Amino acid sequence: MVAPGVFGDLPSGPAAAVDWDRMASRARSLRRGKAAALYAFLIAVSLPIILPYFWLVTIAFSAKTGVADTLVLWRSMAVFAPAVIAFWLVAMLAQNRRQLWLGITAIALIAMLAFALLVGPDLHLRNFIFLVEPDFASIVRSRVGEVRGAIQFPSVWRAFGNSILIAGAQTVIVLTVASLAAYYLSRFQFPGRAAMLRSLLVLHAFPVLTLIVPMFLMLYWIGLLDTLFGVILVLVAFELPFAIFIMKGFFDAVPWDIEMSALTDGASRRQAFVWVVLPQVRNGLLAIAVFTFIRGWEEYIFVFTFLIRNTNWTMSLYMYYVRDDVMGVNYGVVSAVGVFYLVPSLILYLAAQRYLMQISIGGVKG
Amino acid sequence: MAKVEFRHVVKRFGDVEVIPDLSLTIEDGEFVALLGPSGCGKSTSLFMLAGIYLPSGGELLFDGCIVNEVEAKDRNVGIVFQSYALYPHMTVRDNVLFPLRFKRMPREEVLGRVIRAANLVQVEELLDRRPSELSGGQQQRVALARALVKEPQLLLLDEPLSNLDATLRLTMRTEIKSLQKKLGVTTVLVTHDQIEATTMADRIICMRAGRIEQIGTPDDLYRRPESLFIASFIGSPPINTISGEARDGVMCAGAVGFPFEGAPGAVTVGLRPELLRFTGSGLSGRIAQMEPMGREILYVVDTDLGYLRVLEHGSVAAHAVGEPVSIGFSPDDSLVFDTASERLITTARVGPPA
Ligand SMILES: Nc1ncnc2c1ncn2[C@@H]1O[C@H](COP(=O)(O)OP(=O)(O)OP(=O)(O)O)[C@@H](O)[C@H]1O
Ligand SMILES: [Mg+2]
Repeated sequence: MVAPGVFGDLPSGPAAAVDWDRMASRARSLRRGKAAALYAFLIAVSLPIILPYFWLVTIAFSAKTGVADTLVLWRSMAVFAPAVIAFWLVAMLAQNRRQLWLGITAIALIAMLAFALLVGPDLHLRNFIFLVEPDFASIVRSRVGEVRGAIQFPSVWRAFGNSILIAGAQTVIVLTVASLAAYYLSRFQFPGRAAMLRSLLVLHAFPVLTLIVPMFLMLYWIGLLDTLFGVILVLVAFELPFAIFIMKGFFDAVPWDIEMSALTDGASRRQAFVWVVLPQVRNGLLAIAVFTFIRGWEEYIFVFTFLIRNTNWTMSLYMYYVRDDVMGVNYGVVSAVGVFYLVPSLILYLAAQRYLMQISIGGVKG
Repeated sequence: MAKVEFRHVVKRFGDVEVIPDLSLTIEDGEFVALLGPSGCGKSTSLFMLAGIYLPSGGELLFDGCIVNEVEAKDRNVGIVFQSYALYPHMTVRDNVLFPLRFKRMPREEVLGRVIRAANLVQVEELLDRRPSELSGGQQQRVALARALVKEPQLLLLDEPLSNLDATLRLTMRTEIKSLQKKLGVTTVLVTHDQIEATTMADRIICMRAGRIEQIGTPDDLYRRPESLFIASFIGSPPINTISGEARDGVMCAGAVGFPFEGAPGAVTVGLRPELLRFTGSGLSGRIAQMEPMGREILYVVDTDLGYLRVLEHGSVAAHAVGEPVSIGFSPDDSLVFDTASERLITTARVGPPA
């Protein structure tokens, strides 16, 4: 209970009449103004972020050999920009989920219709010729009458397979090693543990590019130069420290007692790890897996340096040489390769995003 | 079922000696409580029994065989952790089933046992839920079912009731006790709650700083505590203590003289609140505070020797705050301890001042 007079002499009684209505309307307009500013910002930021991807896809499906046609891009943008703005407006004005979904569906339908009318006639699949014809460069060039000097491309599926192999193998190795190492670092005391943890972070601080020459020499001497395995080893080595560090944070958050409980329930240490501890860090493993895979999928500089034969090309190298060879002739093909290159990582993100959203790196500590 | 024996067991963590020398025997089928204040090494002793910690010295025996080196998974010990330690990613069914997963056993038998264990602790309706969808009491039962499903030779309970509310704690206390009697499994209960220990266990092992202070039945510990520590630890509300100097026939505490019988020296007298009475004569004071506790009322009396607690039966207050009273008691109810060693002097008695 408060003794009288604790707060000093407060004005009391009806003397201090308050105009609640005016205050409420002021707060309301302030809130509206803030919301409008926020959505204007979102529109301004999201347009330039999404537009390149949108154009990439449009070009890939519409550009023709030897024709620098930007008209179709402008037309597609005339559909796209209003759609994005309308989307944010709906997001701002919708009162509930139903309205939101209705609004988004309506915008999508209108946008698709407009797109079909304005851009549809220009769409075609010819730029994806590289999927079926390894020597597409000569064909594309022959359309404009200069065949000489075309690069011999391997089948794109070969490059695709190489990329999958590199990214996949790297992911599997990093996941295995990082989870085992992080578990050990999290659960066991041994001499040099603190130093090891510290060095994990320092290792990650180095720009990896600085090591490219020594790495080249090492691979050369071991005899792994121009092999996929060599590149995988290098990538794994660079990815591991951070993965271990992140995973250690996840293992630290797993309580000891469920592990002890598993041991008394008759599990061996290894069984307890597999059955009880690993499921607790599933989100961490998933995050590491996705990011490592994407990292391997988009890897460019090491494969460019360490892989030489064109049968060893990865998608990034394939993309690079396509750009090198046919860019001037047909940027539609370059974009088509880009779309093809983009699709797997897009699918991976979409599949994993539900889990990735749950991850907070807040659990990480040293 | 097993008889368990500690023989001069030592446990060190690095340089810290948590348990200096522990020797005790737990009989087959017995329900003992390990009682002691926080940090006295109860959980550590329990984890050594479970095989999670390796003793640093001494021997640990199950049925006369040394098990120091036997791994946790081979000991057939059921344990309920303070946090219950249910596996969060598994359903209740899988949690209870987990200990059987590592035994070669036909599938029907496994499922049958899970159902029986669930029935035993009444969680059969919850089998398809996850631990996060259970209340504290339900989690506790599931943890118990998981500990019991493999028919352990030894059941270890690490403060299993500390997360429950007062009523549920009371129910679970009775349930665990009757379950233990029904199954006849040797059980060690770790607790720092003396009521839990006295109500559930056949025998209480009272620990202090890694050492056994006293072993006995709840009644022994309450009526004949061997040390001042036990006397103050057991009993609620806690015992009153008065320190004084005993000389031929009188114990002087402050300006008050108590009739004394026993050898002279510095002594501390323990007086249970429920054995004190308001009488016509005795130690005089004034009621400072009154705490109704349902069927009893606890009076805090301000005397020349400090505050004394007096517990009176009845729900209607017979005395008011500020009222002058005198406190009396029977000399046979007094507990006299040597102040220096804190041990009980069994032959000494103290009576109320005239
Ligand atoms: N892994 C460990 N490393 C170092 N010291 C430890 C370790 N485990 C326990 N101790 C110490 O051993 C002592 C006894 O711990 P223990 O967990 O057995 O206490 P407890 O009696 O169970 O207490 P509580 O009632 O609080 O659970 C404590 O002082 C604690 O700090
Ligand atoms: Mg404990």
